[in-house]
Parts: sequence; C-alpha cells; structure tokens
Amino acid sequence: MLILGIDTSTDNLGLALMEDDQLKGEYNLSLKRKHSEKLLPLIEQIFSLLEIKPKDLEAVAVSIGPGSFTGLRIGITTAKILGRIFQIHVKGISTLEIMAAGVESNYILSMLDARRQRIYYSFYKSNFGNNNYLPEKILGAASAQISEMPDLLNDFKKEEITVIGEKTTEVSEVLKANKFIINKCASEKNIPRAAVLARLGRDYISLGQEDNIYELKPAYLKKPQAEIDWQQKYSNN
Amino acid sequence: MGVEKVEFEDRIKDEKEDIYILALESSCDETAASINKNGLEVLSNVVSSQVDLHKKFGGVVPEIASRKHLELLLPVIDQALVEAGIDFEDLDAVASTYGPGLVGGLLVTLTAAKTISLSLNIPLIGVNHIAGHIYANFIENPEIKKPLLCLTISGGHTDLLYFENLRGYKILGRTIDDAAGEAFDKISRFMDLGYPGGPAIEKAALAGNKEAIDFPRADLGDSYNFSFSGLKTAVMNYVNNEEQRGNEIDKNDLAASFQEAVVDSLASNLIKAVKEYQVQSVVLSGGVAANQRLREVIGERLAKHKLKLYYPPLELCTDNAAMIGAVAYYQYLDRDFAPLSISADPALKL
Repeated sequence: MLILGIDTSTDNLGLALMEDDQLKGEYNLSLKRKHSEKLLPLIEQIFSLLEIKPKDLEAVAVSIGPGSFTGLRIGITTAKILGRIFQIHVKGISTLEIMAAGVESNYILSMLDARRQRIYYSFYKSNFGNNNYLPEKILGAASAQISEMPDLLNDFKKEEITVIGEKTTEVSEVLKANKFIINKCASEKNIPRAAVLARLGRDYISLGQEDNIYELKPAYLKKPQAEIDWQQKYSNN
Repeated sequence: MGVEKVEFEDRIKDEKEDIYILALESSCDETAASINKNGLEVLSNVVSSQVDLHKKFGGVVPEIASRKHLELLLPVIDQALVEAGIDFEDLDAVASTYGPGLVGGLLVTLTAAKTISLSLNIPLIGVNHIAGHIYANFIENPEIKKPLLCLTISGGHTDLLYFENLRGYKILGRTIDDAAGEAFDKISRFMDLGYPGGPAIEKAALAGNKEAIDFPRADLGDSYNFSFSGLKTAVMNYVNNEEQRGNEIDKNDLAASFQEAVVDSLASNLIKAVKEYQVQSVVLSGGVAANQRLREVIGERLAKHKLKLYYPPLELCTDNAAMIGAVAYYQYLDRDFAPLSISADPALKL
C-alpha cells in the first residue's frame, strides 16, 4: 500500500510517503504559518523526487489535531480531495497519537500547548514490544490547566510516564513535585513525525478502520468563540 | 513553477475548442461550485448558503464559516459535476477565488483547487472575487457589446474599468480615499439612520429634497479618480454648524442632498469616460449598483449618448462560483495560471 501522510496541525509541516514497510521519504519542516503556500508545492516535489504520480497513491493519512484550525483545514481539504478523485482510503489521526506512537514506553502523556498555562493532552498505554503498535488511549483528548495534571493522572502515580510534545518541561516539574515518575524524550521526538503518521494510517486502514471523507473533520476540541459567547449570554437570562 | 507549465502546455486548448472549468468559491458565507463551458455557458451552479447559521450572531462569524466550508466542500463539488454531467477527467482547468474575503474560508476552496490541479495535472487559476461580480453581468447578458465601461462600486471599492473585450480590463480610475459604499455607511452612522448605510440613506432620501443643500463634488482634474472624504467632512461640518446655530436638521433633505452628490460624482466621471472611449455599453456592479437613484441618473445621461446601462439582477449579486468560472475562462485563454504556492489575499484589489 502506497500511503501519503500529511500533517499541518502545528508549526511543523509533515509529509511522508510509505510503501508497505518501506519509508520512501519524509519532510518535517518548521514553517509556522506558511502551510497554505508550501503544502502543495512540497507534495509535488516529494512525488517528483521519488518518481511517483499522484494517481499511484493508494491511501492518505492526515492529522486531525488538536492544532491550528486553519492549518488543519488545509491538510484535511487536501486529503479529502485526493480521496475523492482517486477513490482511495483516507484515515484521520490525532496529532497527539502521532507523537505518542513515536516513542517506546509503557505510559505516554502526549501534549500540545493550548496557551495560557493550558495544554491539549491524551494519555496512552502502549504495547511497544510489537512491530507497528497502536497506542491505546486511556484519557483525552481534552484540554486542561497544567496544574490540573497531577489530579487527572492520579491513578498512574506508581507507573513510569513518558511526557512528549510541547510544554514537557513545565508539566514534568509539576508532576515530579507531586511524586510522579517521569521520563522525557530526546528532542527530535517532540514533534508529530510524518513517517509515524503514515505508518499509523497504513495500520488502521489495514484493520479496516478508515474514515468517510464526507464526514472527516478536525478534532476542534473547542467551540467557536462566538458560539461560546452567544451561549453564555442566553443561558444566563 | 516552470515545471508545471511545461507539463500543461501540450494539453492547453485555444478558444476554438470547448473548455470546461470547475470553479470554486468560499470567500464569505456561501460554499459554491460550478462547471462553466467556454466561460459564459453555465452547466451547473451550486450554492450552499450558510446565511441562517450566522443570523443569530448578527454577521458572518469567520471560524463558523470556515468549518462549514470544509463540511460542504465535497457535496457541492459532487453536485456541480453531476448536474453538468461530467467527471474530473473532463476538466480543462480548476479555478478558485483567492481574495478578497475571509482568509480561513478562502483557504478551503483554494487548497481544494490546488489539490485538484496537482492530481489531474490541469492548470490552476486564481480569480479575484470582485472581477467575478463584474463577469456575473456577462453571464446574464451575453449580448453586451464591447468595448464597454464598468463602474464597480461597493463598501470596499469604487473602480472605473475599461474593457476592450472580456479578456482583460484597464483601470481608468479608482477612489483615492473612501469607497462610495463606505461613505454611505459612515454618513448613515453619523446621522443614526442604520446599517447597512446604502439602503438606509436611499430610503430617507426618497422623502427629502435633493437640492436642499449644495454639497461639494470632488474635482480631481483630468483623472478618472474618485474622492468622497471631502464630501463626508462637508456633511459633518454642515450638521455641526446647524446644531450650533440651534437649527433643526431635516435628515431626509440631508440624505437626499448627500446621495445626489455621490451619484453626481460617479455619473460625471463615467460620462467623461464614455465620451473619451467611444464605448458600446456600460455596466454597473457591486452593492451600491442597487441604488435606484444612481441607476436613474446614469441611465438618463447615457440615453443622451444612445447607450444602454446594464446592471446585475439581484440573484447574481449573491456570491456564486459561475461568475468565478467566467473570469477563469478568459484567464485560461491568456494562460494566466497560478502556481501551487499561491496564497489567499484577504485584501485583494482589482
């Protein structure tokens, strides 16, 4: 199965092509707000370098966040159109799961910065001894104050927990102060790697767990601000 | 980008052949897709409006609009293809609005169009939404004779354009400060007449005397440019002076006199260009084109030159993709293609 992984959920623009067990190529570029200008030229470039035609694709994996809403819509739109034109499998994968699946550890707390001392997080248990394992989600995806994390993870105080992603230093300090056993990862693991995304997509699709492109959307985790304001205004009356 | 053009080249047609374009539009609160054959022939024109979704907020909420565009994208494309009875392989090019508008929304169909262009190896065409509204006239009235002049006036722009044919236009003049619609809005707010200002002032003016107050018309010499900020200041000074003298102000007279000054400035510049450019027809577009007094004054003055005035029917004033497809066809003939790196431009001008 030739699968293209597309991640535009964070500052990192990730692209990977994987054919069966072989990673053919991967970009992970910290581009900040340039995803709209760079994504399609980079897809064209990676295809051309690897001598692949768009119609050779058999599947697409795309990150669905949490992350920048505009960024996510760029990647997901691309995945939807590729899925529609070539009638191929499409699978949306959580950005937190991509990061978690990139480390080998029993318990993993995967996080993204949600600003103002908040994080988006998911907590996973993994069976990393196997090839191509899929992390099992125990908690999340949700947003929380960094200070709330010791309470949220209280049941796992005796386990070794690996923290990954953004805000790892702050969260580690808070957890260690509460007597948790915390591991941190090498720096290059703290981004959602496109190769991991492609591998997860391939594995889920092999298991028959693909998405309907007509229903695929970002994991927004937050209502639009205007909707929140409107509800507050009218539920108080 | 050179690579793309070389690959397209063998397949690019000329105007003797039939050209099918898929056009997409998501700059505000309508998600739209159309198939145009040879520009002005509309095979399908699907518009999914989100107006009801935004009503309770009293205006378009960008994030809500963007979410909805992503949801509606594939359904509107599918329907446009089905209604036109064609498939992706039949397309010669794909077009999308790239500005002006809300950036989050623009990026949905722009990204979709880029992906279609790459997938099918067909040219990508980026279209200016304002040009789309002008070309809506040509879809409705394909008999419009060229060369022509177009006055495009709204809350964001006031442009006088000359078209030798439909393949491009020359900007003769534009506003050097406020757009005409902006002047209506500002004066309406100043006079507490409501929003949007155009219809509010037009309504008040119906009951007023347009000759009650002699407001100035900007004189910009030989140019075809417009200016409305001096007029705006004159209206405000008039009101302040009258209030200081303790005189009551007749809002209807004020509205009628102000409207007459705007209409006269627009019409005078247009007629000056009619004389110089020997055109066959004149077209209005943009929100302010709905102003009845403007249509009346320009219509009367054009009649003296035996010229017909065209303006869009109301249903083509709403956003749609067919008008984007019409512009795209002429860009196709001129090989005016966009690279895959094109980005949305929320403040794009003509």
